Amino acid sequence: MSASEKSGDLFAVKKLRRLIALMKKHDLSEIDIKEADHHVRIKRGGEFVATTAAPGAHAAPRPAAADPVRQPAADAGMLVIKSPMVGTFYKASGPDSSPFVKVGDRIGPEKTVCIVEAMKVFNEIPAGVSGQVVAILVENGAPVEFGQPLIKVDPGA
Amino acid sequence: MFNRILIANRGEIALRVIRACRELGVETVAIFSEADRGAPYLELADEAICVGPARAADSYLRIDRVISAAEIGNVQAIHPGYGFLSENSHFAEVCRSCDIGFIGPTPEAMERVGDKNSARALAREAGVPTVPGSDGLVASEQDAVRVARDVGYPVLLKATAGGGGKGMRVAANELALASAWQQASAEAQAAFGNPGIYIERYVERPRHVEIQILGDKHGTILHLWERDCSTQRRHQKLIEESPSPRLPAETRRKMCEAAVRLAKAAGYYSAGTVEFIVDQQDNFYFIEVNARIQVEHPVSEMVTGIDLVKAQIRVAAGEKLGLTQDDIVARGHAIECRINAEDPAHNFRPCPGRIERIIAPGGFGVRFDSHATAGYTVPPHYDSLVGKLIVHQPTRQEAIRTMIRALKELRIEGIKTTVPLHLEVLANTAFHEAQVDTTFVERMLAG
Repeated sequence: MSASEKSGDLFAVKKLRRLIALMKKHDLSEIDIKEADHHVRIKRGGEFVATTAAPGAHAAPRPAAADPVRQPAADAGMLVIKSPMVGTFYKASGPDSSPFVKVGDRIGPEKTVCIVEAMKVFNEIPAGVSGQVVAILVENGAPVEFGQPLIKVDPGA
Repeated sequence: MFNRILIANRGEIALRVIRACRELGVETVAIFSEADRGAPYLELADEAICVGPARAADSYLRIDRVISAAEIGNVQAIHPGYGFLSENSHFAEVCRSCDIGFIGPTPEAMERVGDKNSARALAREAGVPTVPGSDGLVASEQDAVRVARDVGYPVLLKATAGGGGKGMRVAANELALASAWQQASAEAQAAFGNPGIYIERYVERPRHVEIQILGDKHGTILHLWERDCSTQRRHQKLIEESPSPRLPAETRRKMCEAAVRLAKAAGYYSAGTVEFIVDQQDNFYFIEVNARIQVEHPVSEMVTGIDLVKAQIRVAAGEKLGLTQDDIVARGHAIECRINAEDPAHNFRPCPGRIERIIAPGGFGVRFDSHATAGYTVPPHYDSLVGKLIVHQPTRQEAIRTMIRALKELRIEGIKTTVPLHLEVLANTAFHEAQVDTTFVERMLAG
């Protein structure tokens, strides 16, 4: 019932809860949704909920009503850009603008990778690291907490 | 009533507020620093948001992050608990401008009573007795000498921006005054960023008696009688009880009325405490107002039967208290012991660490408010309060007996706590005979 996101993946459980509520409302037995690096498949009445936040990560959680989502194990050597503040994540500077970064982009430490909006101030977040973007871990417009992983970067690439 | 509120605090008071909300049907958003990640009480909130690293200044005190958490958490109001931002009028003001309810007084009322010196002036206006002292801040050492001669030694130099028992110096005579003045101002500047000092006559062997007040936004202000908090060590409260033993009925009545008068003069609502000292002749003097819910609020809850935290939330939501002063009846006797992670055998040095095992006492009239569980690590970054043990019985004698029984039943293994000190105080004849003043614990420890 309660959902303290101990792992920090605040958004995933909220999203799953909403999907499950929608399924109940419309009496769906199964849904399968893909979006960017996110893939969710939920079967009602069964025990199986799979969600992957990035390719290669293993599926983890039981139905969202029970346990919080387990964080996919970070691949060895990967770096994670974490949120330095509490706010709302935006992948681009505006709804019609192209994203700051895409998977596959090579970036340097000064590169703005996203915006975290806090109290109406749009804060550009610099990468702080060099490498290749492996994954965007948060959905556009999702709330993020302090320290929440935002973007996975391969420094060796 | 609010749909959802954010609790801008941690530990036992966060748990206390979460519990009240759960009973009111209000959803909760808890915040936590990285040092509190994984704390079991967070699971009782509907959402929990990390607001920073361990240091309070980088997390719980970060107004911007707390407000951001309130926004992404979609809350209508914030409960600030005690300590942290609870008496920060700027924070209350920010909440107001962001259209987020602040569960406490208005920023203006908070400022009127928060500055110790202005609170004294307000008290004088409201006909509330204050300790003889300076008329406002003392500007210089020469002024200090003049005031001290008028007031009479010994004198107490107090930082106007001080609190929690800090920023005070005693000067026994004029020779000692010069250095006391210099030290007090320097400390005040360093600790509180405000060097302002005022002077009061130092009352010897005072009792600390405070009045719980509660007001709504519709003009009703009531008192919930008193708490006696004389059992202190280094100005930190250890044991609180209600009623105040040996306080004459007439004094009690006058103090309660004075507290309500002061609150009205300040335009105060929500919960608050008006602190007094009582001298050996049962004269009482106003000291300060705590514009927040306090650690020891359960003592008043037990004797009056009123849930103060729920009342705060209801008041903030605009509800009327729906009570008159005659409805507030004190029954029986309640005592609270603050269980801190400190080692009495080694000068009370803080003992953060992992609690291996914890067994809470129970039984008739026993209440244990604690966020600690087995496996919980008390972090070193915040206060050392692990839990509060409160008992309520028909008489003081029975309450003492029950408290001793409950303290012996309480098991907290893995860290040292102040339980042995509490047992020593409760076994002490002076405590039994209610011959306790604020110097008692230190005299007892000195042997």
